[in-house]
Amino acid sequence: MHEVALMQNLLRVVEEAAEKQGGGKVKLVHLRIGEMAGVNTESLRFAFQVLSPGTRVEGGELEFEKIPLRIKCLSCGEDHCPPELTFRCPRCGGANMEIISGREMDIEYIMMDEEGDSPRAPAFSPTE
Amino acid sequence: MHQINIGEDLRGFNREIAAENREMLQRFNLFSLNLMSAPGAGKTSLLVKTLPRLMEKYRVAVIEGDVQTTRDAERVGALGVEVFQIQTGGVCHLDASMIHSALHQLDLGSLDMLLIENVGNLVCPAEFELGVDGRVMLLSITEGDDKPKKYPLMFRESRLLILNKIDLISAVDFDLEKAKKEAREINPAIEILELSCKTGEGLENWIDWIDRFYKSRRG
Repeated sequence: MHEVALMQNLLRVVEEAAEKQGGGKVKLVHLRIGEMAGVNTESLRFAFQVLSPGTRVEGGELEFEKIPLRIKCLSCGEDHCPPELTFRCPRCGGANMEIISGREMDIEYIMMDEEGDSPRAPAFSPTE
Repeated sequence: MHQINIGEDLRGFNREIAAENREMLQRFNLFSLNLMSAPGAGKTSLLVKTLPRLMEKYRVAVIEGDVQTTRDAERVGALGVEVFQIQTGGVCHLDASMIHSALHQLDLGSLDMLLIENVGNLVCPAEFELGVDGRVMLLSITEGDDKPKKYPLMFRESRLLILNKIDLISAVDFDLEKAKKEAREINPAIEILELSCKTGEGLENWIDWIDRFYKSRRG
């Protein structure tokens, strides 16, 4: 159960980001979780329930986006989603495969209440 | 409601400290391995067999990671090697910050090699890099030949797979070729050794492997 350690990290990052916005409640945390990331989303939800009270995310929601495993052959450039976790190129038989996606464990974005809007930080910045 | 983009890896904090560890180990020219396996696969037994041989050539210290007790540290410490015990207090893996504080308490300048025995677990330790030269995993054949596909990350992240308890091969339904094939499908570069801590079979190959890897990194 390393999800507790990961959740502590999540809450720290999210609190800092919310702080920068001038405070307010975090309603949703959107996560990208790779197919081959060693993390259990149910355990993450559990850790969230236990650890989020008293933070800006209390009462908020976790949202998971599943990212499929995608690998690229470094010999011929072919990229594909491997069936059954076979790291071998179906085109040239090469074994030197790079993982393009599927290892993610990222906090992609958070959604905050309007009241958290800071006058110095517009809700939608055109540069972002 | 408004959206704030973050784009941060949940493992980012650990990764940063692992990078510091790596830098620190390199500064002291200290070679290091992270031993990982399920509970009971034989990590401590392997260390007990291996350390006397390594201590003939290298100045070695061991970091023992356990959820509870100091039993492993006592077994290994009985060999006269310096042992640093980390009790994780319920946490299922060692992380980079635990290693970081251990590095600050060891006399790194007086060492050639650091062996880290991770907490017994086939999942979590694979996600927490420590900043060492290489990861070695043990799979005891009593655990079953289906483990590579069930716990792919551990096999993907390891440089060497040791198939331990090979002396029991006639007693269990473990298909060696299937396990090796599936481990290589997940990690074509993985090296594989068969070993028995009980009979000593394969121990020479393991010591040779360490010597070779040590030379390639620190020679």
